[in-house]
Amino acid sequence: MSRVNQGATGLRGALAAAAAGLLANGQAGAQEVPSTPTTVIDSAVLVYHEVGRVQAIEPTLNLSQKIGEDSTLSLGLAADSLTGATPLGAVPSSKAQTYVRPYKIIPLGTPVTVTTASGGSTVVIIPPATGAKSQVLGASTTVPANTYPLDRGFYDRRIAGHAGWEQTLSSTLKIDGGIAYSKEHDYRSESVHVGLTQDLNAHNTTLNAGLNYESDLSFPLGGTPTPLTAMNANWKGADESLHEVDAVLGITQVMSRRWLASLSYSFSDLHGYQTDPYKLISVVDAVSGQPTSQLYENRPDSRRKQSLFLENKVHLPSDVVTVSLRGYKDDWGVKSVTADLRYRLRMGADYYLEPHLRYYRQGAADFFHYYLVNGQAVPEYASADTRLAKLSAQTYGAKFGVRLDDNQELNVRAEYYDQHGNGSPAGAIGQLRQQDLFPDLKAYTLLVGYTMAF
Amino acid sequence: MRINCRYWSMKLQTGRRTDRYRRVAVRLRAPLLVAAVAAACGGCAAVGVKPWEHDLLAEPVMQLDPYPIETAMDDHIYFSKEASSGGRSFAGGGCGCN
Repeated sequence: MSRVNQGATGLRGALAAAAAGLLANGQAGAQEVPSTPTTVIDSAVLVYHEVGRVQAIEPTLNLSQKIGEDSTLSLGLAADSLTGATPLGAVPSSKAQTYVRPYKIIPLGTPVTVTTASGGSTVVIIPPATGAKSQVLGASTTVPANTYPLDRGFYDRRIAGHAGWEQTLSSTLKIDGGIAYSKEHDYRSESVHVGLTQDLNAHNTTLNAGLNYESDLSFPLGGTPTPLTAMNANWKGADESLHEVDAVLGITQVMSRRWLASLSYSFSDLHGYQTDPYKLISVVDAVSGQPTSQLYENRPDSRRKQSLFLENKVHLPSDVVTVSLRGYKDDWGVKSVTADLRYRLRMGADYYLEPHLRYYRQGAADFFHYYLVNGQAVPEYASADTRLAKLSAQTYGAKFGVRLDDNQELNVRAEYYDQHGNGSPAGAIGQLRQQDLFPDLKAYTLLVGYTMAF
Repeated sequence: MRINCRYWSMKLQTGRRTDRYRRVAVRLRAPLLVAAVAAACGGCAAVGVKPWEHDLLAEPVMQLDPYPIETAMDDHIYFSKEASSGGRSFAGGGCGCN
């Protein structure tokens, strides 16, 4: 197979490669041959299925259009729809537990005909305050004994879009910028970014720098709860905002004719509301381990994140190997490492198979607790969200791609994600010793992608 | 007993030294990083290929992010299920609460 490919390179390949090098700009070593398309349509549909929890479907469409010799406009649109169950953060109990949340506000005196809310919960009427003109309906859910508490009424819709512009300023310098918008029924995100790319050393080295500003607004269903207060069905506080600045610095280097290496450092500074308004943390009895109350969680208002990302791509005689490593840390106390391996196995001229392995491991945030203990001081920050716990995860997947012609590719990818943590932490109290405090998360994804260039 | 005292004395000294080295290392971390990147960039001039040797690197699969939609979807999933995000690019918007 390798001989065939090498043979196919021939004079035409050498000329194209020489032209690619001479015309090169942008990312080191990744120059297009002279027949660069002016329009690229990229689309995909993702189906995501968590065992016993969230289901999601997400179609995405991107368009990239060259305008003149030096400019490229890019537009993108994505939508997703999520339903299913998500952990409440509370611990399971050997007894049935009841959870309440705000459900709806109605004018005072409106007849209530609804008897069930989403997720199999029951509607309860909250007595209105004296002089109030409206009243709140709450939703009450009973979780059976020895069952991990999940919010089964969860649903979400998200629509996201972005627009970008890339301008070539010289044969070695490019500038790009763009805006992005994302809206969910309880969350909105707006961002703007700008970046510079500079080629050096005859296009063998590329330096890039980028800056992003993001402004988010959280408006949870039922209002924003006061942190570390007891769960209730009352309508709660006002919207909360979050501001984020991100910076990325990177260097990409052609190491040899077959080897491309890239190193990036990124820094993020976040200020504002970062608590999950739907998550609870249980307060348990110091002897029996039975929950005595459920509090709304609380996370710090500021977070600084840093990561170092190293990627290597190696073109073997026929196949391509991509290996990446990421080290991450933040001032919440989370440290993580991620390793990712892809091996693209070329199967003739038009087909490929790409197995994929990913390994991830993280340490817990400083304020993660499986539960709080009744009678002990409540910490300033506390969350029982297992995504902030010590955990590890593996992804196993494979992608199969078909080149339909010179300008079209269709690919299908299937993956399995397995996340696990410590479900039996040391020092668990009473009945908690018999419970699984961190059930595994298993998810399947199916992704179908189609790209057309002309 | 004497051995124990000497052992603890050495351990304390070592601890003090370690702290001092750590403070110096923290103070020098930023300049060292800048120097390392500068040295790496300088070294880059000696690494690379001639323009006509970019044939394999010009293949779409050798782009750093040949499938941006796939990367964005993966980043969004991992951002929603793990405590880390970012790395090569900006994390992108969204709550990631579920």
